[in-house]
Amino acid sequence: MDCKFVPAVCSYCGTGCGVLFEVIDGKINATLPMKSHPVNHGKLCIKGWNLHEYINSYMRLKTPLIKEDGRFQKATWDEAIGHAAVKFNQIKDQFGPDAIGVLVSAKITNEENYLAQKFTRAVIGTNNVDHCARL
Amino acid sequence: MNLIDQVEQLFIQDKIDIFLGYKALDGHLLPHGFTRDRMEELKALQVSEGRYSLEKIATHLTEKHPDIRIGMIARECNLRTLNLLYTWKQLNPENIETINISCCPSPLKPHSDCSYLEPKQTGAYKKTHGIDFNADPDTFLDDFNNKNRFSRWMYEFNKCIKCYGCRNICPVCFCDECSLEHASLVEPGTLPVDVPIFHLIRATHMAGRCIDCGLCEDACPMDIPLRLLYRQVNAIVSDIFDYRPGNGTDQSPFTIIGEKTVLEPKPMDAQLEGEKEYGL
Ligand code: SF4
Ligand code: SF4
Ligand code: SF4
Ligand code: SF4
Repeated sequence: MDCKFVPAVCSYCGTGCGVLFEVIDGKINATLPMKSHPVNHGKLCIKGWNLHEYINSYMRLKTPLIKEDGRFQKATWDEAIGHAAVKFNQIKDQFGPDAIGVLVSAKITNEENYLAQKFTRAVIGTNNVDHCARL
Repeated sequence: MNLIDQVEQLFIQDKIDIFLGYKALDGHLLPHGFTRDRMEELKALQVSEGRYSLEKIATHLTEKHPDIRIGMIARECNLRTLNLLYTWKQLNPENIETINISCCPSPLKPHSDCSYLEPKQTGAYKKTHGIDFNADPDTFLDDFNNKNRFSRWMYEFNKCIKCYGCRNICPVCFCDECSLEHASLVEPGTLPVDVPIFHLIRATHMAGRCIDCGLCEDACPMDIPLRLLYRQVNAIVSDIFDYRPGNGTDQSPFTIIGEKTVLEPKPMDAQLEGEKEYGL
């Protein structure tokens, strides 16, 4: 029997509230607000309070899926990234880079957002990049 | 004997299986379950100014392991909650050991080691339009007429973002089905929250239950003075029944009414039963 508390950052929005996962016997049992966190001072919104629900949800995707013959099939990360790269290249060759757009998210870090726009501009070659905070 | 030695003794004398206390991690004092197979961790055991509901954690552990023996750091508020949880059969007093920590302000420590004892600051706008956190319930009734009080409470309730934090953090919210999730009372998935019904449901439920720990008010992102509301409700309970929740382990006026109570508490091993039922 084991009971520990693991600090983390809420993954739902860009506010980045500090949460504490109550882990009993290796399974996340509840989410608590972190009292000493400088962002949220022990408070959360309804999404943060329920983080453990989606982590434990049976509907949660645990591997990438590739659609083949109209059905999603389990795939490895290498297969999925390879597949996406081939498709992006096909679209780019056929319709040009402006046929692709990238939407990034407040749920990822500043650095990841920077990388995403770099990838969009330098690798894909389009300025079609936007962020959910602007919607 | 210092805290760590006391806990070590509890393990050596085989009185507990797990001890709930606090441990520093990345500069934050966080709750932690200390166990016999990792005794070396005990060196890091501490008391924390920030309060987490260790007894609510104990009920979660008990749901999974009904016979588990739990030790914990206990302040005054933790002790009141434990009494209430014994009364409502959410924990078995024979399975709980506490190491009591003094909380009282003293000449040596003006606010001792608990965040609860720091008076909350009320801003100027809140003072004129809403409710002062530190208002005395009696003078509050005398100072304002009905209409004024109603508009002040509505000002406070209307700020609610329906996070359910007050219910989630509350150590004495342990109902099998929570009325706040009952679609005919509180419409699910919509904002703004139904006022004042949402807050009044919770206020009536806290009659005879709320042990005035203040965790709900601490967790409320909108600074709604929830404790004042629950204190007022409990003043009625104490006037009529001479009962103060958590003062002892006597039955509460709300548990002796009959076998079936209105707010059905969940059985102590609820989770285990559920897991059996679904074959998990
Ligand atoms: S708890 Fe709410 S406000 Fe805080 S980061 Fe999560 S979603 Fe955003
Ligand atoms: S003060 Fe708030 S959190 Fe504490 S017992 Fe009362 S209602 Fe629950
Ligand atoms: S006491 Fe009321 S608010 Fe608390 S869990 Fe029970 S039904 Fe919900
Ligand atoms: S904690 Fe405050 S904002 Fe959240 S549901 Fe309760 S009263 Fe509303």
